[in-house]
Amino acid sequence: MIRILLAEDEPHIMRIMHMWLERHGYEVFDSANGAIALARLRQEPVDLLITDMNMPEMDGLHLVRAVRDELKLTIPIIFLSARCDQAELMQQLAGLNVNLRAKPFTPSRLVDDISRLLGDQPSLARSECTE
Amino acid sequence: MRACWKQLKAFFNAEEVPRWFGLSLVLSYLFGLGSVAYLGITKTRELALQEYESSCRYAVTAMVSRLREIDGTASIRQLSRQHVLYEFAAHMNVDTLRLVDGNRQVIASIHESEIGQTFVDEFSTMSWPQSVNFASMYSDVLGKPVSVIRAPVHMSVVTAQVDTSTDESPSMTRTRHAATDEETPTTSWLDIHLIPSEHSTSMIYNHADTVIVVLVVLGVLFVIYHRLRVQMRSVMRIGDRLYSNHSRIEENLNMLRIHDASDTMTNAWNELIDLTQTCSQAADKYKANDELAGVLKRSQGGALADALHSISDGILYIADAEQIQYINAHAQRLLGMTWDEQKGQSLQHLSLTGMGEKIREMVESTQTSEGVYVSRSEIIKDGQPEDEEASSYRVSIQPMRKSAAGHGCVITMRDVSQQLRTDRAREDFVTQVTHELRTPLTNIRAYAETLSSGMFDDPKVITECYNVITKETRRLSRLIEDILSVSQLEVGSIAININDVDIKSLVSDSARDVRGLADEKNIDLQVIVPAKLEMISADRDKLSVVLNNLLGNAIKYTPSDGVVVITCQQSDDAVMITVKDNGIGVAPKDHARIFEKFQRADDPDVHSITGTGIGLYTAREVVRRHGGEITIMSEKGNGSTFVVKLPHQVGRATAMSITKELSHD
Repeated sequence: MIRILLAEDEPHIMRIMHMWLERHGYEVFDSANGAIALARLRQEPVDLLITDMNMPEMDGLHLVRAVRDELKLTIPIIFLSARCDQAELMQQLAGLNVNLRAKPFTPSRLVDDISRLLGDQPSLARSECTE
Repeated sequence: MRACWKQLKAFFNAEEVPRWFGLSLVLSYLFGLGSVAYLGITKTRELALQEYESSCRYAVTAMVSRLREIDGTASIRQLSRQHVLYEFAAHMNVDTLRLVDGNRQVIASIHESEIGQTFVDEFSTMSWPQSVNFASMYSDVLGKPVSVIRAPVHMSVVTAQVDTSTDESPSMTRTRHAATDEETPTTSWLDIHLIPSEHSTSMIYNHADTVIVVLVVLGVLFVIYHRLRVQMRSVMRIGDRLYSNHSRIEENLNMLRIHDASDTMTNAWNELIDLTQTCSQAADKYKANDELAGVLKRSQGGALADALHSISDGILYIADAEQIQYINAHAQRLLGMTWDEQKGQSLQHLSLTGMGEKIREMVESTQTSEGVYVSRSEIIKDGQPEDEEASSYRVSIQPMRKSAAGHGCVITMRDVSQQLRTDRAREDFVTQVTHELRTPLTNIRAYAETLSSGMFDDPKVITECYNVITKETRRLSRLIEDILSVSQLEVGSIAININDVDIKSLVSDSARDVRGLADEKNIDLQVIVPAKLEMISADRDKLSVVLNNLLGNAIKYTPSDGVVVITCQQSDDAVMITVKDNGIGVAPKDHARIFEKFQRADDPDVHSITGTGIGLYTAREVVRRHGGEITIMSEKGNGSTFVVKLPHQVGRATAMSITKELSHD
């Protein structure tokens, strides 16, 4: 079973993502902030990471940096942000090989993205700030 | 010959002739004319005299021959001689004419009293001539020159014997004469004195006199006139120029230059004009300098100076070589220098640090190679870039027109720190708000899609979805209300609708509104109100916003299982509503700040909780509009207590003073 780690501080969003992903047959782990997510990653590997930007303790950017630079994981990462228009953010994420997605998103789209990233279908462009 | 004449003419007409020459020329000319005149007169006189003499001589000769021919008796002879003399005298215009014998006795004369007298006069001593003799002599007696003619007359004169008998009948005498006459040949002399009367010859040479004199005078006058004119030509040219242009000299000295001649005087004149122009221009320049200096001097002291020193912007005016022409008090402070008006200080040579140095750098960077300044405006921070407390100034350089002081520029420094802070805060606010808005929207969208997908048919899940949607929608709308109030408050257009408000019901309603939120976090929300509470005049809707904000904050910043209490009290003049929680609290240093627009406590715990920083600002503004006040008591980690104090009546005076306060924020 494919394991997906969610890092999100907004409970409602977390809940809905969790519900959808489980319904689609993935094993979903929740973490309320970046620190918890990182700790989890250290312990057990996952196949995909979905993270929000704004979280307490450790925000999405630091988490992704840690995952790539420290843990040296190459797993696909979906980065959700309400601040997609910030060029600064995109610059910062440039070398980190993440898929940037804007909020609000639709769960169905998210599911499609995941299946593409994990499956054989060609993945979407790396940093696409689209709905 | 022609060349000689030309030369002469040229010399005569020369502009500059040596003075001695001109003078001697005139004198010799006069002398020449004088001599000619004199000679002329003399000659004419001589000629006239000669003519007169010759006619006289002819007449005398004739008279002499006629006298000799006279014959007859003594008395006849006497009569005839007399007659001849008279004839001659009338013809020749004489003064004295007498016939004198050898004994100097007058035989005949035109003056009858002389007859028989012995003739003696001043000319008698002269020896009697042999022939007709002319002489011009000056007569002392008469006082004028006299022409004397002496002519010998050979005649037979009978010596008459004087008969003393008394019997003297003419016939007897005659007979006696005839009887006793003895003929003796004798020589008598004709003595003629010619005195030319005034009008005989004078008429002739008087005319000549006048004509010549007039000619001479005219000639002299002409020469003088011509010479003068020639000498004065240059001067007259200058005079003409002055006359025609005297009213426009100030405008343009050039008008006085003479272009169509180049003699020494004209050249000197033109040089003088040029020199005057140069001097005039130099004087203007100095005057402009002086005026500028004067204006600046005047502006140092006086109302203008005071005004300039007291404005909150810095003003610096520099000219050539960055010489400070003027710097007001504020600019002096900013640059960290004091300006000594008497000393000319140049920006280049001052030792400046920090802000002063940055400003100088900016000024120097705008200067072109010709020393002209270009306009530019930059924001310069008075401190390190990271320094939050440092002020920022908008420094603008504006070049000035070229003046007596050269190329200059005016530099203004305006403190824009507050503006920048506000701008940044607003930017942050907008960013935050959009982020905030997106979160509920995401939820709504996600849950709405979930519902519509029909993926979950568990009724509990479906209910949950609807609940979330509803809650988030409410959250969204509250957020939008907040944003709206903030912008309204800023414009000052928020309207307070005064009515009677029942505080008790207001408090319980607000508590009810937030109960859902409290329940989620398992927070104990308590409402304590007295049994009886008076109505107050207030705007119920606005006050409910205030309470919702305070309660919302209390719940938000209190972790799960916390307590939030809202109480109500009444005193003589006011009503107090207190919201107390045991949440994360607010450090004293942030107590003032949290009430400001878009500002939240500088606390990582606060940052981790979403908030827009406008709730407390809105609350305070509304409370103040009511004439009340919000206060906070809190310590970090020890919960917070907010007290809203509202007067019973919102008086008009209070409202007015509030408006003033608001505008200062």
